[in-house]
Amino acid sequence: MDFAWSNQQRELLDAVGRFAKQQLNYDVIDNDRDGVFNREAWKKCGDFGIQGLLVPTDYGGLGTDPLTTVAALERLGYCCKDNGLLFSINAHMWTAIIPLIYNGSEEQKKKYLPGLSNGTLIGGNAMSEPNSGSDAFSLSTTAVKKGSRYILNGSKIFVTNGPIADLLVVFATLDKTRGPNAISAFLVEKNSPGMNVARKLEKMGLRTSPMAEVFFENCEVPEENLLGKEGGGAFLFTRSMTWERGCILASAVGSMQRLLETCIRYANERKQGGQSIGKFQLVASKIVDMKLRVESSRHMLYHYGWLSGHRKGVYLESAMTKLHISDSWVKCCEDAIQIHGGYGYMTEYEVERELRDAIASKLYSGTSEIQRNIVASMLGL
Amino acid sequence: MKILVPFKSVPEPNDATVAGAAVSTPKLVINPFDEIAIEEALRIRERAEATEVVGATIGPPAIDEQIRSALAMGVDRAIRIDDSRILDPYAVARILRALVEREAPHVVIMGKQAVDDDSNQVGQMLAGLLSWPQATFASRIEFLNNKTRARCTRETDAGLEVVEVNLPAIITTDLRLNEPRYVSLPGLMKARRKPIDLLTCDELGVNVRPLTTVLSVGSPPRRAGGTRVESVEELITKLKQEAKVL
Repeated sequence: MDFAWSNQQRELLDAVGRFAKQQLNYDVIDNDRDGVFNREAWKKCGDFGIQGLLVPTDYGGLGTDPLTTVAALERLGYCCKDNGLLFSINAHMWTAIIPLIYNGSEEQKKKYLPGLSNGTLIGGNAMSEPNSGSDAFSLSTTAVKKGSRYILNGSKIFVTNGPIADLLVVFATLDKTRGPNAISAFLVEKNSPGMNVARKLEKMGLRTSPMAEVFFENCEVPEENLLGKEGGGAFLFTRSMTWERGCILASAVGSMQRLLETCIRYANERKQGGQSIGKFQLVASKIVDMKLRVESSRHMLYHYGWLSGHRKGVYLESAMTKLHISDSWVKCCEDAIQIHGGYGYMTEYEVERELRDAIASKLYSGTSEIQRNIVASMLGL
Repeated sequence: MKILVPFKSVPEPNDATVAGAAVSTPKLVINPFDEIAIEEALRIRERAEATEVVGATIGPPAIDEQIRSALAMGVDRAIRIDDSRILDPYAVARILRALVEREAPHVVIMGKQAVDDDSNQVGQMLAGLLSWPQATFASRIEFLNNKTRARCTRETDAGLEVVEVNLPAIITTDLRLNEPRYVSLPGLMKARRKPIDLLTCDELGVNVRPLTTVLSVGSPPRRAGGTRVESVEELITKLKQEAKVL
């Protein structure tokens, strides 16, 4: 096995790090407090090439392989402290760009992928509903074909990027009695008649990533905006989720590495009882645990990326990667606060925000319990 | 109009692990003042006042990474003069003179100094060797009279000085001229297809003989910790008797 990056990969990762450090870390505390999305930073990321990493070059992207992509996102998470911005970018990549790459028609790809790659367009998806979360395919938003249009009715909740999205991949059923086989995906542009992006949702963390409830009331979607086939929505969603589970916490691995380094620095500088607190075994032990979590997370992430790039099945690995990294991230954040003591609880030290941002990773893209169900089923249980 | 931008690779200035100047360290970057020169050349080209920006640097293959950064920023092509010796400013100026004669640019824009050795001599020496006019420490550059003259605002201790030079000329850049763009990933991909030409001092017909020798390079002495004083009187006394600055 070859664990070394090529020179080209190293150059790309260094460029990501330099860019993120210099361009993305302003107003993060204020934006987190006020729940403000940094649109300027989003555009910079687009110009720089983040959103288009996986997009084929024919559609304005860079066409990088999955392993390089997750490594780039990891570096982004290491150097950019705005986890909400990165979460919005992730939602955009895995739930709007990936389905378009795999299931979009030539016209749809040409129309949307360049803008989604260069930061002019923001995408997301609308799947969860007030009464269907983990049981995603029991959704009740309906789509009815009328002439050359589909008419959508229903409501969606927890729509990441909802308030700012130019394009949403909306899942609806053509026939509730046919279960997953009738679920279809539609590309719905903002300001479509009948689509109403309602109240922005206030939340615990990832506060710089806006989220909304979206209602569809006789929302008309032209038939050419059907994404994939009629009834192909469940498969499309599963593929999109597999990508998302494997990749969405790449930036969390970078964030954990940053926290680890912050903690080591603090443990060496902070003196209590005449010595650095890092000399106390209880503190050192926490830091060792952090290191183990970062390393194991990174290995799972890279392995997932390698498998995905070699077109191997990753259904099991993506679930395990997501489960392990989310768990590790939350624990690292708790330890980081504990090591920093009272200072870690203070906003200005930028440690407590990491914990608030990390916790949702056990909920989105399938809760940790759902990931365990997937792993268990893949193990034959 | 063709612009030549010579640039130097230097240790990352913000890297706290770098102990001294001009020593081999793992992390190198384009000298920040040269990066400003590259940015300015690109802006001049983007407003259609120049047609080509050529980057040039001197060093071993290890600095190809910085060359690719320059190409990724938008430099059209680059030249590396393959030489791994530590060269003094006069040697660099002589190599650059040969390169300028070969490339025949209309203007050379370069950093006022490199942040590793802070010599601040190459631009001036190069102008002297070529008998070209020079405008150093530029914080603003504009071209006049159908691009036969350049008007440069210079930052001096006394204030802003505006000078005009006939082209071809050497212009060295100061910190506040512009804020360099970051290297984007599409730029990096494009850079892989741009040529890096290799030259040697022999091919340029330059026999480089260093006039200066670096005897040693080391870290500055560590600062002793400060102390708190109780009163203004105590401060005055200490400034007079211990620091002897009053």
